[in-house]
Amino acid sequence: MNTLRSLAALAAIPAVVLLASSCAQRDNAVAPNLGTPSFHFNVFTCTGFKMTGGGRIDFPPGTADKNPPASHEYETFGAHVIAEPNGQTDELGHCEGAKGSLEWVDHRREFEINGRPLNLHSVDVTWAELATDTDCEEGGVHWGGTLVIKNTGQQSRFEVFDCDNGEPGAGHDGFGIRLLDYPYEVLCPDPALPPAEPSCTLSGGNRQFHPTH
Amino acid sequence: MKIQNLGRGLRFAAMVLPLTWFARPAFGQAQRTATAQAFGVSVSTALVNQKTPSAAAPAEGGMVQTDAADVSITGLVSARDAYALASGWSDDGYSDAVSSASLGQVNILNGLITANGVLALASTTAAGSDADGSTLANLYVNGVAIAAPAANTRVDLPGVGYVVLNEQIATGSGITINMIHVYLQQTGLLGTKPAGEIVVGSATSSVN
Repeated sequence: MNTLRSLAALAAIPAVVLLASSCAQRDNAVAPNLGTPSFHFNVFTCTGFKMTGGGRIDFPPGTADKNPPASHEYETFGAHVIAEPNGQTDELGHCEGAKGSLEWVDHRREFEINGRPLNLHSVDVTWAELATDTDCEEGGVHWGGTLVIKNTGQQSRFEVFDCDNGEPGAGHDGFGIRLLDYPYEVLCPDPALPPAEPSCTLSGGNRQFHPTH
Repeated sequence: MKIQNLGRGLRFAAMVLPLTWFARPAFGQAQRTATAQAFGVSVSTALVNQKTPSAAAPAEGGMVQTDAADVSITGLVSARDAYALASGWSDDGYSDAVSSASLGQVNILNGLITANGVLALASTTAAGSDADGSTLANLYVNGVAIAAPAANTRVDLPGVGYVVLNEQIATGSGITINMIHVYLQQTGLLGTKPAGEIVVGSATSSVN
């Protein structure tokens, strides 16, 4: 089942300011231009698959070039999702029937909370869908659920943009995350950086798409 | 008699051998096994044997992350914000393994080696392995700054032993990265002999 929709419906963020500084202050960290023809990750289908692996993102600027080590301008993560569509969609049209796990650490000093790096841990992965309008060579997927901000214990819905664009993962694959209930996101919707948009190109690690789960 | 036995043997072989051929995986579909491990700090001496935090991907496939706000092994190593993550999935040609270990504010042997940040990152697929993304931030060894050391950079530590920075060990099916590996040595009348090891930031991945 194909579901065409605007991602704008997902971007309703409550006015709760948790983090020290919002990505909205950064030019390349804004939400994608929704509904424009050139934007990828906009058309999805409910089908079975698996995406696995992890790695490093240097955000900003969101390219494969590593930032100076002393800058600590990077994030590390591990994540997997197994899509087992049950024929249902949630209120936002996402394909229900999924399981998985996410671990995310943002090493940027300005994002520390309670003296420790921002650490996100999934509580439940509930939906996953295959993007049919991406240039991701092996597979591009969109998935999400609920996570906990381990620094504070607060929970938030989240969505992930996940791209396997061949080997090696560094310089090819992409990963991006957005919290829906707090103003935090690491997305790189730069048209000059296809095909990983809106995910950020990995500077290390790998994303592996498995066409069947 | 011998001819009869030979005939029976040939008939047996003709019946059984094809079964064994079919029992094997088809060419190009050999079962692959992905493994991944990572740890923040490991100390191995005559008196101390400790590794923390550490993570290993489950054999059935999956991901594990462990962390520690503070790591301290008295007189040998201290670090903050240590995370160890291991992800491994065995799935024939789609098998993959990724592991990482990150630490902040590393201090080894009372300031002999310090670094603001350490990240070991190992990645393996059926296509190969790499250590891309691994870094040492603001590294000082014996008071000397070392920026972005090349793989397997050795620096002598007089009276202590030596350290290998950005140690990359290729295995037959993967890679191990030890960002700081101190080899402790004792020197006596009979020469120099190993006295222990300290590893900070280690990641291993493989796909067999």
